[in-house]
Amino acid sequence: MIDPAFARLCRARDFLRDTCADNPPLTEAAAVAHLSLFHFVRRFDALFGLTPHRWRTQARIQQARELLARGGHSVTDTCIELGFSSVGSFSNLFQRHVGVSPRAFQRAARLSVAVSGWPPPLHFPGCLSLMARLPPGAFRNSR
Amino acid sequence: MRIKLTSIMVDDQARALAFYTDVLGFRKKNEFPAGDYRWITVVSPEEPEGTELSLEPNANPAGRAFQQAMFAQGIPVVAFEVDDADLEHDRLRGRGVTFTTRPTPVGAVKIALFADGCGNLVQIYQHIG
Repeated sequence: MIDPAFARLCRARDFLRDTCADNPPLTEAAAVAHLSLFHFVRRFDALFGLTPHRWRTQARIQQARELLARGGHSVTDTCIELGFSSVGSFSNLFQRHVGVSPRAFQRAARLSVAVSGWPPPLHFPGCLSLMARLPPGAFRNSR
Repeated sequence: MRIKLTSIMVDDQARALAFYTDVLGFRKKNEFPAGDYRWITVVSPEEPEGTELSLEPNANPAGRAFQQAMFAQGIPVVAFEVDDADLEHDRLRGRGVTFTTRPTPVGAVKIALFADGCGNLVQIYQHIG
């Protein structure tokens, strides 16, 4: 039996993930959770480890990585698809979180696709697939 | 064939490592760069040579969809055995952990569920007979 308050917070999380507007009012997400804004932010953070705003930013950056790595979306297309108000603000945010510009990230992703085919494991790791990238001797401590 | 390694997906590997070590009390066993991410495993201090838990990034959209759906359904992705579920519940609550299920007897075990703050629910269980 799922606690209704828990279920509503999960729905608010999905609302934040799926809403495209650049800055959706958090009061809307709080309403989905049936909580005041104050309690929503506190309870969201306690459950998901980040404030709603930071969680949404992280989710959008992850979506951007996927669109850019798949190809078919230019930086501008990605920016529009994810509802950013300008390419400049999107690029700055992306660079701050990923460490490289969207264009540089996409170039690197395309190279890895060209070499290894889809999906590019560097950018879309599957369960335990990172193991294949470990240096020799990595499991010395595990034997 | 041996079971030496298992994994969970996490939103953020650095935050996950901090939670599973500083909050839960596991020890880091391995940490290596692996492409855009890191290979990170932790072990229980009670079994330093025991099964390793890998903290995998949930960067694969298929994995993330699975993780978010499991969370919304209240289903834990991993379970850890404890000697005393009530004591662990109190200890972890004292460290700010959010429980979605308080220690509850269910058959032969007493279980409790908490959020790891990295996209997962975790179950602890105590054998009670």
